[in-house]
Amino acid sequence: MNVVVTALLDLGYILIFPGFLFCFLCGMLLCGIERKIVAKMQKRVGPPILQPVFDFFKLCGKETIIPAGTSRTVFLAAPVVGLAALVVIQLFIPIFNFTAFSGNADIIVILYLLLIPALAEIYGASSTGSPFAGVGLSREMVTIISCELPLVLVLLAVGKAVGNATGSGVVFSLQTIAAYQAENGCLLFKLSMIPAAIAFLLIIPGETGTHPFDAAEAETEICEGMLAEYSGKPLAVFKLSHAIKMLTMTTLFVALFLGGLGTGILLADGLIDFFFCVVITVCVVALIDASTARLRIEQIFKYYWTVVSGLAAISLVLAWFGL
Amino acid sequence: MFQKTIIESTGKSPWLFHINAGSCNGCDIEIVSVLTPRYDAERVGFKLVGSPRHADIAVVSGPVTKQSLPRVLRTLEQIPEPRCIVTCGSCPQSGNVFRDSYSVAGPLSKYVHVDVDIAGCSPKPEAIMDGLLLAAKILEEKRKTGNMEATLPNPYVPVKAEEAKPAEAAAEKAEEKAETKGEEK
Ligand code: SF4
Repeated sequence: MNVVVTALLDLGYILIFPGFLFCFLCGMLLCGIERKIVAKMQKRVGPPILQPVFDFFKLCGKETIIPAGTSRTVFLAAPVVGLAALVVIQLFIPIFNFTAFSGNADIIVILYLLLIPALAEIYGASSTGSPFAGVGLSREMVTIISCELPLVLVLLAVGKAVGNATGSGVVFSLQTIAAYQAENGCLLFKLSMIPAAIAFLLIIPGETGTHPFDAAEAETEICEGMLAEYSGKPLAVFKLSHAIKMLTMTTLFVALFLGGLGTGILLADGLIDFFFCVVITVCVVALIDASTARLRIEQIFKYYWTVVSGLAAISLVLAWFGL
Repeated sequence: MFQKTIIESTGKSPWLFHINAGSCNGCDIEIVSVLTPRYDAERVGFKLVGSPRHADIAVVSGPVTKQSLPRVLRTLEQIPEPRCIVTCGSCPQSGNVFRDSYSVAGPLSKYVHVDVDIAGCSPKPEAIMDGLLLAAKILEEKRKTGNMEATLPNPYVPVKAEEAKPAEAAAEKAEEKAETKGEEK
């Protein structure tokens, strides 16, 4: 009996909250809000907030073209794998005190899982042999590498700061971080963590691939890069993954730096969490998206490995000295 | 289960792909102006996409030169069904000033089924917007009926003979009255 209950509960976690359904709705809403804010900043009326949902369902109803000479299995499996990885990440990220699945080193798991959507896209794109996809995927790889170093530094800094306080080296468990923040207040208000928080905020547009870090998907120069050959349902799933990635990165920020603000009631926590996600998306993704132009790929690389990594490194050093 | 949502969404999110088939660039600039803050086509879901495989509506401008014809046809074939083909400007519709030129293969309707023609040289942004909205409606119709050749009646064709009869009769009566009045005088 107990086994059945746990299994059902797990299934609920995976499919409904904080799994697939929650990801779908919140990701789409975030994406819609982002597009609306960008439009408002350009003095346009902008699409309705639900536009990403319309786009998704429309793409579901379109014909799926598989280009000649493509590896069919890889082409069709890639979007699903990417989406599954994102949903799994969402299960590991605590919403204040609530975690669906937790582990001792879930930060490392998340770090690896975050690579999978981008890798899936690269696999899918390379299976088509399209030259546009080729250019796009080489740029995407550089973008991943650029974001990875500052991301690891930020996570190390946070882990060290919490580890100092709890006396256990570097902490790699998000749940411990959440519990620490619930007791001692948010990490964002700690002086040594502010550079790391800024660095993480700057990583979000890079990970979600919005302006100015969208060299990999430049629709005006390389026909949307890796997605050039995709149409119909697989494209819909990729668009959904992009929307969910925004949610993943913002909830990760909330879990890492704002973890202490929970109320203990799950529904309220979920709403507060989503509210912060919206605020972060508007401030970081939408405003930067609307006010910048696309950077060249080597500029992206240089920017992340100097400015952003520098900020994260400052935090790491400060945390190491126990500040 | 989602069929209804899909049909409704189809008309609400038409993505555009713009093909230049030897246009003088006048039409291209007007198409871009439809996306500017003044007309803002994105508020009804239009979006300019970079790959024909993502598109729903192909906007063709220019008189379809012999050089561009095979490429235009190949690009149009790559757009997944249901799709709409819209000609922008008089060039792809009739050849315009380039008609009968040795290098022009158009009009486009000789080669493919064209859903909407937007006339003008170059058409006003309002006209383009109107044509695109009609194309979006046709797109929804195609999705609903499952017939990829479906069309809608042209809203700008003059009213048909039978429907026009009451108006004509009224006009005749008015004429008769005028005549009788004249006789009375
Ligand atoms: S219709 Fe007029 S403006 Fe448009 S491409 Fe032809 S000549 Fe140029």
